[in-house]
Amino acid sequence: MSTQEERQREGAVATRVDDVWVTVVWNDPVNLMSYVTYVFRAYFGFSKEVAEARMLEVHRDGRSIVSSGPREKMEVDVQAMHGYGLHATLQRSGE
Amino acid sequence: MRAFVASPEGAVAQLDEEERTVVARMVADVGLLLGAEPFGMAPPVDRDAGLDPEDALAQALSRIAENATDPEDPAVLSLLPHASTEDREVAQEFRRLTEADLRITKVDRLRRIWEDLSDDGPDWLVPYSEALATASALTDIRLVLASRLQLSSDDDGELLRSELATALESGEEPATRAEAERVWLGMLYESLGWLQQSLVDALMEEGGDHV
Repeated sequence: MSTQEERQREGAVATRVDDVWVTVVWNDPVNLMSYVTYVFRAYFGFSKEVAEARMLEVHRDGRSIVSSGPREKMEVDVQAMHGYGLHATLQRSGE
Repeated sequence: MRAFVASPEGAVAQLDEEERTVVARMVADVGLLLGAEPFGMAPPVDRDAGLDPEDALAQALSRIAENATDPEDPAVLSLLPHASTEDREVAQEFRRLTEADLRITKVDRLRRIWEDLSDDGPDWLVPYSEALATASALTDIRLVLASRLQLSSDDDGELLRSELATALESGEEPATRAEAERVWLGMLYESLGWLQQSLVDALMEEGGDHV
């Protein structure tokens, strides 16, 4: 296990400070509101209130950002969302 | 068909023999779209058992998996969507890393449902530990049906519901085979949505610990 200092140095090599990615979940006509809320709670560990707020954002605005972090982590989150049958994409934060 | 209700062992729904046949057939066809080996041919869910081949429903189902080898089939794309619409490199890298695993995940849980529905008797018991996987598989089946029904927006979904209501109220046979198939697939899509809703409700009611 590395020390905090080493981890920070490795992190600085692996990803630039501004290289933050996000996972976006998109609206679709198929998925049920209660199912999407349940998936957000089960996978991201959101509270019921947060999960419902994100689900409503997807439903009303067509998309919601559900997580952010390094690209590799976002690939894991997008894969999980596709596993649940939700349409998710990843992109650089701020794009 | 009786919706899922919570029981101590899990969520339980009831499907009669024809309903089991139709759902199992859809399960098997979505498996084919995902590149799985056929899910066996044993009764009571031999792929065509219990279905009159001249029946509009059988005709409609026969076309579900007809493009199983086409990677650009919209139904397959709805199961395994692009992870980026803007950046080809991101989408291709994601597909390279995840597609095989995603196919396996989706096929495995479809196969489990197929086996459950192959058991005798009307009860379909889904333990709470498997309820989310089952609900996800129902989403996959509904994604394929939605693709075949060309539903791409919430408005399309609303339109389908009013079409079905009109068809049921008139009580008349649809004028064309294409219309008859659309009504059948639409009713199947709505029934599976209703079943999935009841499963999620049962899970939230009794299976809260599994969140």
